[in-house]
Amino acid sequence: MSKNKPSLKNIRRLQLYMILGYALIVITAVAAVSGLTAKKTDEVLKNKVISMSSSLNVQMKLNLDSYLSRMETIGTLAFGVPEFYTYDATDPNNDEFDALSKEKIITDKLYSLCIMENFVDYGVVYRNNRTVGKISNGTASLFGDKIFDELHSMIKRQRTNDGWAAGYNSDFRRIYYVKSIHENALLVISFYATELQQVFDNPETLSDMAIRLTDSSYNIIYSSEKDEVGTVLPENIAERVRDHSSSTVMDDAYLVSVNACGDDWFVICSIPTEIILGEKKQMQYYIIMVGVMAAALALLISTELSFRLVSPVKAFVSSLDTKASTDQLTGILNKKAFEEMASQRLETSLSIERHALILLDLDNFKGVNDNLGHAYGDKVLSKTGSILRGTFSTEDFLGRVGGDEFAVLLNGVPENDNEFLEFVKGKCRELCEQFASNYTGDNGDYKISASIGVSLCPDHGRDFDVLYKASDSALYISKKKGKDTYTIYSPETQEVNAQ
Amino acid sequence: MRNIKKAVSITLAATLLCSCGSSPVVKEQIEQTQITLSWWGNDKRNEYTLEAVELFEEQHPEIKVKCNYSEWSGYEARSRVQMNSDTEADVMQINVGWLSEYSADGKGYYDLDSLSEYVDLSCFPDKILDYGRMNGVLNAIPIAMNAETIYYNMDILNKYGISPPKTWDEVTAAAEILSKDNIYILAGASKSMWLYTLTYAEQVIGKPFLNEDETLAYTPEEVQVMIDFYCDMVKKKVFPQVEYYQKIDIDNNTYAGTIGWVSDAINYFSTVMDKGQNVIAGDYTAFSPEDAGKGWYAKPATLYAISKNTVHPVESAMLLDFMLNSEDWALLQGVEKGIPISSKAKKALDEAGQLSGLQYEASLVMDNNTKIAHMSPVYENTTLIDAFINKCTEVIFDKTSNTDAAKDLYEQFKEVTG
Repeated sequence: MSKNKPSLKNIRRLQLYMILGYALIVITAVAAVSGLTAKKTDEVLKNKVISMSSSLNVQMKLNLDSYLSRMETIGTLAFGVPEFYTYDATDPNNDEFDALSKEKIITDKLYSLCIMENFVDYGVVYRNNRTVGKISNGTASLFGDKIFDELHSMIKRQRTNDGWAAGYNSDFRRIYYVKSIHENALLVISFYATELQQVFDNPETLSDMAIRLTDSSYNIIYSSEKDEVGTVLPENIAERVRDHSSSTVMDDAYLVSVNACGDDWFVICSIPTEIILGEKKQMQYYIIMVGVMAAALALLISTELSFRLVSPVKAFVSSLDTKASTDQLTGILNKKAFEEMASQRLETSLSIERHALILLDLDNFKGVNDNLGHAYGDKVLSKTGSILRGTFSTEDFLGRVGGDEFAVLLNGVPENDNEFLEFVKGKCRELCEQFASNYTGDNGDYKISASIGVSLCPDHGRDFDVLYKASDSALYISKKKGKDTYTIYSPETQEVNAQ
Repeated sequence: MRNIKKAVSITLAATLLCSCGSSPVVKEQIEQTQITLSWWGNDKRNEYTLEAVELFEEQHPEIKVKCNYSEWSGYEARSRVQMNSDTEADVMQINVGWLSEYSADGKGYYDLDSLSEYVDLSCFPDKILDYGRMNGVLNAIPIAMNAETIYYNMDILNKYGISPPKTWDEVTAAAEILSKDNIYILAGASKSMWLYTLTYAEQVIGKPFLNEDETLAYTPEEVQVMIDFYCDMVKKKVFPQVEYYQKIDIDNNTYAGTIGWVSDAINYFSTVMDKGQNVIAGDYTAFSPEDAGKGWYAKPATLYAISKNTVHPVESAMLLDFMLNSEDWALLQGVEKGIPISSKAKKALDEAGQLSGLQYEASLVMDNNTKIAHMSPVYENTTLIDAFINKCTEVIFDKTSNTDAAKDLYEQFKEVTG
């Protein structure tokens, strides 16, 4: 009975719009907040990481400068002995014994100084390739008889007549410091490149960061990845630092920091971005998940609130609807509601559907009112409503369309027209029998019967008014034929098909 | 409905707690025990030692090993400074002579017997461990045995039709031929030539340089035998003055023979052998071949000791055991320091087929000689060596006579040996 009520439909639609609108606002707001939060977090994180990486690189550079400076200082301490800078092993006028004595003095001095660090070499090389002090077998083998000339070529700084070098003949094991003593003598200091591990000792938290020291051609002098020493800086790092002497670059692939130091050397720190910002993705994931959860929660709450808000309204409207469309005495549709619903049902009827519009008029009802009173008459009407409800299904529409007139729109999907016709006739007979059994006229009761007129859809039309008119015609014939019977409308003959 | 209310309340409360709480962020660092390790050596030794230390650190991430190393020259002076200033490394490669210098009473180094739970001493024969005992205390563990060896470059000798000399006369005869082309039949650093001179003197005089109580056994006249020999050999260009000895002259084929330790074989000759030249370990020089080994001495190549001052004896002992007995370290080290004494290390090398090469041949010459004796640490006393070389240099340049030099040197020797 409550189906297809427009007011309730509107309320449901409104409720849906409310929920969707609220959800849209919440999701948009959450998405905006989440997006902004993620973006801002990303920016802050990147800036902090770049800043820290840059600081680390500067610190590494300062460490290296300090380390190399200390080596130079230790080297210059040898100048405290006059023989160190006055003796010339190439002088042909040297007294051999005197020369050996001076070399011993120089050697003793150098040995006393070389204990200060893990030096590989700490000695003097003369232009005639004579060496004094600590010149390692490795260095002697590396330079051979070109030792003076090759080491001399490493002097780059004119102010202090010295220089640093590595990678001679592709051998990067030692780092050399060479300082001119006089035109025929060089001070040579060297240490293993691996010693720089103490300079570039990396915090455990940045253990994934590659730290490299390269020369000006980006040949790797030292690397935290030991196998790289002696190779050229990987191009994917080099392209980010080329032509930069002090900068930090961060893109989707790498965070790279570079600082120039010493003799055109570069300290280069690099780490894949995904490692250092790996937590960023996790953080974004958390932000999005919190956003989704917040949106879902908001949706849940809004749904609950809307139901709680709308339910009383729906109940009230439903009550009003029921009251407006129901005949209070019989409990079935009133005339207006029946006509609207029947008309709408017929308009939307499918081709396979069949309908019968049954009009029923109580016979001699005036006599009931006159003889037994209106209260009894009302009981009869109420009973009629009960008979109709008992006879027809909930799929059929029942209505009181006049004082003692009732209408039924019987809906069905029969296999063929004859079957439906027989079904309709059966229902009409059942109605007549119901009245006959309920109002027998025995024991002082009043015999009440009903006259019935029936039209069929689509046989007699599809429009409610047309069908109503046809049923009314058939009803008239039933009355005319002596009442307590039913008549199926026949448009051709207007004759009665009476039982 | 009540459940929904409860769920909403809990969620809101949790959200509030999460957003309002500001607990401190704590990042725990791995706590490492840092110990120090010191050694001397050439490039090859440094490289494999660093690699082996990394392996140890991988196996023991709770221990960080800081390495101090350099070549031998100057290392002894550095070690003296560190030992006397209590700044020595926790684990040290030491020379056998340092035991008497720093630990005559056995208290100069850590008592390794007390760390036998961590260092497997069962891999070493007792008589070998005795080399590291001072006053009954196990101060150090020998890595391998070592002896001065004469290496000959056969490419040079073959070129001149010379067989590897076995006697002093053959050495002199070879020098006569080679010196014409400014090639020395022998050469060596100051300690090697000092010991070679002692060998000659002991064979001539017929008694060791030291008495059993390690006091000087020689008279001034007998000391002069040593001076005469050294100066004569220099004069005849049998070997160069030690001041002019340079390792690069081995590579330049200026030295047909070189005197060096068993453990120096790879260090000295890798360059010439890389060029395809054939180097052999020759016989110990004597007056007759059957006397080879007389006056020659063997000693532990080097030893490992733990500082008496260490505050991390257990970690130091773990590193020591790794260096002496582990397969990892043995395979990286090979025979670079000589044939390892540790039965575990030796077994690992044997199974890996690494018991071969010039160093192994030199150690076989040492092992197979029955006349070679145990070397007293006094023989490596640098004061004795420096004094001897200085006096010889004075004689060579006519600053003093052989006799006066011998008298002076005798006094200096007496002062050192008592």
